[in-house]
Amino acid sequence: MSDERIVKGSWRQRRSLFVLLAALALLAAVWFWLAFAVPRQQTLDQHVKNVASQLRCPVCQGESVADSPALLAQQMRQVIREQLQAGRSDQDIVQYFASRYGEQNVVWSPPRQGFTLLAWIVPIALVAGGVVFLFFVLRDWQASSVPVGAPGPAAVSTKPHRQNDHEEEGTSEDSALEYYRAQIEHELAADDPLFRRYETEAK
Amino acid sequence: MYFSDLGVIALILALGFALYTVVASVLGAVRSAPQLVQSAKRSLLAVTFFLLLASAALVLSFLTHDFGVGYVAQHSSRAMPWYFTTAAFYGGQEGSLLYWALMLSIFSAIFVFTSKRAPAALVPYVMATLMATEAFFVIVLTSVSNPFARSPIIPADGAGLNPLLMDPGMLVHPPMLLMGYMSFALPYAFAVAAMITGNLSSEWLRSIRRWTLAAWTIQTTGLILGAWWAYHVLGWGGYWGWDPVENAALLPWLTATAFLHSTMVQERRGMLKVWNLFLIIASFALSIFGTFEVRSGVISSVHSFAYSDIGEYYLVFLVIVIVFSSALFLWRLPQLRPEQEFDSVISREGVFLLNNLLLIGMTFATLWGTLFPLISAFVRGQTMTVGPPFYNQVVSPLIAVLIVAMGVGPLLAWRRTSRSALWRNLSVPAILAALCAVVLPIFGVIDIAANIGFSVCAFSAGAILYELWRGARVRHSHGEPYLVALYMLFNRYRQRYGGYLVHLGLVLLIVGVIGSHYFQQQRDAVLKPGQDTNIAGYRLTYLGNIDTKESDKETITAQLQVWSNGQLQSYIYPGRITYHNYGDQPASLIPINTFGFTDLYVVLTDWNGAAQATIRIFVNPLVSLVWYGGVLMLIGGVICWWPERRRTLAAARSAAKPDVAVGAGIADGGVVV
Repeated sequence: MSDERIVKGSWRQRRSLFVLLAALALLAAVWFWLAFAVPRQQTLDQHVKNVASQLRCPVCQGESVADSPALLAQQMRQVIREQLQAGRSDQDIVQYFASRYGEQNVVWSPPRQGFTLLAWIVPIALVAGGVVFLFFVLRDWQASSVPVGAPGPAAVSTKPHRQNDHEEEGTSEDSALEYYRAQIEHELAADDPLFRRYETEAK
Repeated sequence: MYFSDLGVIALILALGFALYTVVASVLGAVRSAPQLVQSAKRSLLAVTFFLLLASAALVLSFLTHDFGVGYVAQHSSRAMPWYFTTAAFYGGQEGSLLYWALMLSIFSAIFVFTSKRAPAALVPYVMATLMATEAFFVIVLTSVSNPFARSPIIPADGAGLNPLLMDPGMLVHPPMLLMGYMSFALPYAFAVAAMITGNLSSEWLRSIRRWTLAAWTIQTTGLILGAWWAYHVLGWGGYWGWDPVENAALLPWLTATAFLHSTMVQERRGMLKVWNLFLIIASFALSIFGTFEVRSGVISSVHSFAYSDIGEYYLVFLVIVIVFSSALFLWRLPQLRPEQEFDSVISREGVFLLNNLLLIGMTFATLWGTLFPLISAFVRGQTMTVGPPFYNQVVSPLIAVLIVAMGVGPLLAWRRTSRSALWRNLSVPAILAALCAVVLPIFGVIDIAANIGFSVCAFSAGAILYELWRGARVRHSHGEPYLVALYMLFNRYRQRYGGYLVHLGLVLLIVGVIGSHYFQQQRDAVLKPGQDTNIAGYRLTYLGNIDTKESDKETITAQLQVWSNGQLQSYIYPGRITYHNYGDQPASLIPINTFGFTDLYVVLTDWNGAAQATIRIFVNPLVSLVWYGGVLMLIGGVICWWPERRRTLAAARSAAKPDVAVGAGIADGGVVV
């Protein structure tokens, strides 16, 4: 393989990395813009619905104030509307109903304070702990599996059959790779009449 | 003699044969006496026969309106059409238990008929586990929860079925979901057999995978049908409310999904054996827990139609299952060593581990939220409610990461992946996702969560379709037209491409969920004849109320016209049915008009005489995609499960030997150029 082709190949590899990074950057930019730059436009109706869906209808079976057709829920929605118009915050309104009907009757998600904070923390801690655990386990496994003197993962591309264009595989002129390819083609031919036909036609 | 007497006799005989099967198969295995095992097989089929007989007796009791049977009197009436009368079979506690037992025996019989394919050493222990489970149910059925129990006073007519159950959904959803719960018993039986014998061969793995796949597909169907039914019946414009009972059905599904993924690692690399056993045991324990929770009423729920005092029996059974499995597990643990080492984080195995972490995270979060009211009551003496806002905030981010992993996973190879190939394969779906993120705000979607959700779905769908296209292109370059190439891919590599179909279905479903969650519109209107109300480009004109009285019920409907683009689309009749026997539980009639993927969902909430109605209108965009996605997942599941031809199977087996690492990449249809 000529040096020129290696350079070309590695540039192509880099190009797809750049394309990927550009797409990710664009995604990040759009999300950042949506999160911070775009003002939250919500109509009063939507706002009422948002607050009401945070509250459980005290006289219903498992329905939120936003969803329930019960009379009490209708009155509660009216109260929410009035209080929002009076300029009170979502949190204040939830607090108001909690003190009026009892926390366990209307608060639909556990408050993030005191004992009920546990409801939130435990699952999050578990997943975070899982990530850390996986990280260490994988590191151990990896450390024990790469023999001394063997090339690191970055230097090897043992999976030539993932590539569609051999031309783009700049470093593919490996003897190991050739071996793998021969093996794969052999197995395919044994397995698949279509490929066998292809092989015989090639001969 | 009544049919119910026949039922009792059949149940007792079934119990006898179930106990005999347990003893005979264990003895047969320990003393290696094939005759005993053969005898156990026949006795298992006898259990199936007697449970079929008992079920037939119950159905006949219903159809002949034998109200001397308490269960029949409580759950049916003469006015009910024959199909609801038949379906009332599983409409209550006792009957649904009988249905459970019946299905377990039928599945066990299917296992016996196909037992030649399973490793012979495991068969007796699988049968013993299944029949021990069966014995538990039949004991409960014959003692505390007997559907055939007769009362001395025979009423003239029965009470009828709960109005919420008088719906076509009743004919399909409960049998599916109960069957789904039950079907986790088979993988569990295989796990127990493997732990006892120490045989965790690739044949064992194949058997347990197929049964789990069947259970998963049934449970998926049950869940989707449940969502569809709730949507059509409950009248709050949604289909999933994170109710404890719904969560209970989701939990085993999540762990089974995790298992189906991590067993691929075991199949390919001989790793994660211990973890896979744990997942199977957890699935079964969670399905028993779900049944216990529904029955016991420990946790209040909307959907419990079968409260009773047999909860504690389930609790005892659950404890037995957990203790027994854990003991076996710990006993076998020292002999379960991975056959191979891990190579790289950026590999298919790595993504499967991430997938498992996320699914287990979701399972735990859901279980924790479901149990938290109990924990709260226990610790500080104050119960509380954990509702959808909690689950939405905790589970949604995990789902988003899972969907990304679903897109990335198929692009990675086993062991390790070349970085450059990865970047190239990732860039196509990433561009799609970026396009989606940019285009959506132009069409007015400025909610950040919805934008992230849609973009993530675009990424994953793009990755899957790109993978399909690449596979088809490879075969096309070998001389097949594209359609034939696509068909051959699905035909030859069922597991892999069936899996892609399931993934695509899930992406569609999530798109539907995002659409109907974030962009639902809702309007309440009090209307007099001739008045109309507008929502999202639709106009509804109210005409008046219609009151229909029948012998067992009274139906009130409002008549409305639906206008769209200045044209009359249809007449709709939202209404309320009140059954005289269940006066406090009216059922809603909810017309749902679908325009494209958007549903117009109208509920009659109140009325006044013949000329005033209060209606509540929901506009649910993209909600149809939830159902289409569900159907796609079902089809994908069936494709994965569908038996392969023997020749392909032999080839796959010889290729799947872990020492030929690269060859193993092909066994599931790795596309090779």
